[in-house]
Amino acid sequence: MASVSEMYDVGWEEMRDKLRKWREDNFRNSEQIVDVGEELISEHGSKLGDDIWIIYEQVMIAALDCSRDDLALTCLQELRKQFPDSHRVKRLSGMRLEALERYDEANKHYDAILQEDPTNTAARKRKISILKAQGKSTEAIRELNEYLEQFVGDQEAWHELSELYINEHDYGKAAFCLEELMMTNPHNHLYCEQYAEVKYTQGGLENLELSRKYFAQALRLNNRNMRALFGLYMLAGRGTKENKCSVKAVEEMLESMQITMS
Amino acid sequence: MALLLDSSIRMWVVLPIVFITFFVGVIRHYVTQLLHSDKKIDLEQVSDSQVLLRSRILRENGKYIPRQSFAMRKHYFNNAETGFFKKVKRKVIPKNPMTDHSMLTDMMKGNLTNVLPMIVIGGWINWAFSGFVITKVPFPLTLRFKPMLQRGIDLLTLDASWVSSASWYFLNVFGLRSMYSLILGQDNAADQSRLMQEQMTGAAVAMPPDPNKAFKSEWEALEIVDHKWALENVEEELMSRDLNFGTFFSQDRTCTMF
Repeated sequence: MASVSEMYDVGWEEMRDKLRKWREDNFRNSEQIVDVGEELISEHGSKLGDDIWIIYEQVMIAALDCSRDDLALTCLQELRKQFPDSHRVKRLSGMRLEALERYDEANKHYDAILQEDPTNTAARKRKISILKAQGKSTEAIRELNEYLEQFVGDQEAWHELSELYINEHDYGKAAFCLEELMMTNPHNHLYCEQYAEVKYTQGGLENLELSRKYFAQALRLNNRNMRALFGLYMLAGRGTKENKCSVKAVEEMLESMQITMS
Repeated sequence: MALLLDSSIRMWVVLPIVFITFFVGVIRHYVTQLLHSDKKIDLEQVSDSQVLLRSRILRENGKYIPRQSFAMRKHYFNNAETGFFKKVKRKVIPKNPMTDHSMLTDMMKGNLTNVLPMIVIGGWINWAFSGFVITKVPFPLTLRFKPMLQRGIDLLTLDASWVSSASWYFLNVFGLRSMYSLILGQDNAADQSRLMQEQMTGAAVAMPPDPNKAFKSEWEALEIVDHKWALENVEEELMSRDLNFGTFFSQDRTCTMF
């Protein structure tokens, strides 16, 4: 198996910078991270200096995603040696236990963190994801609601809650969560489009009109959002009171389909 | 008024003062980091600060959500009996600096690392480099600045623009702030102006000492806000423009890691 540096002809600095870019942009391409990161750690570990600790963390989480327990354990042990009392490292060891499905032990880990530091959001969120992994979605929803009552500003949590509600088919509450997200990120076309889809699924004349407006807003924010364009087309074709929008929407849809086919 | 200064003043006074100020600042930064103790954050404070943030966002960006949702949230916050800002009263313990131990140590540490070196070095410079003017400030000053900026020089006719070494030292202290951020990275402890603005940002924002007052002002601000839906004419606006697909789809997009 050729190594990453041979396949792409890159040096260790480029690999390190690529990892940093993935880290800052919050990518979840775990297999790639594992490939690049493993080689970087094993061959060029000494050259990385203090960067190596955050790379260990990044690679460990990616290794858990890819079921590479050996790699995850090595990274965790290195981190534990360097930062023996750190809550962040404890959270990582809790995540490893979660990956091995030892949920009770993981829960004990997180409870220990929370006893020392009640404001630690990471541990609370991991507990909620344990509930989700075990399939106890109603409890997960309840815990997440309590969490959000205290930490109203946590956008990741609002998004997760909206997903949980959609899975439970509680579209009204999911719409509420998405509204929170839209308020804090008014220029993000993805939230507008998700909100419009939820409203569309809810049904009812008012919701459909609202949905059409939000699809249009998503398109205004980003021309390329195909789902929004499709949603607009579906709604416009329903023949509501304002028919002037429908013809133009159909034309645009045809135009875009012609371009994708050519 | 033109004065010709000895060039050895430049070499032996101006530059040493700059270096002294700079290195003292760097040392101060590292000492502060060594003495730094973690601030204990109160859960309720964090929660309150986030609620205030949410209310502010509602005021600013409320126009992006439907009218009914906005009304629902405004009601949640501002309702006469059950609204959050009306109902929640936090117990306010005035933080007496003398009795509150952690604040006392923090204050002492702050004084020690920041004010003390400034006074000591300022005094030493005043003593060591006294009796002559260093430089001329480029703008004219009134006579009232003379006793402040020209310590130890008793010339009545000397222009107030000519300043002594102590004032050059103070100029450096404030001027080298940007140098510190270049070399030590943002958020460094040598930055003295942060003494003047005690601010912490991020997830754990320290509440102003009276959350009740903050709630009340937020309530008033939210009361007067009106909902003007930004999406009123969005469809017409969208239709009036071309979607511009020309350059978006291309065949030669390869997906590789590097």
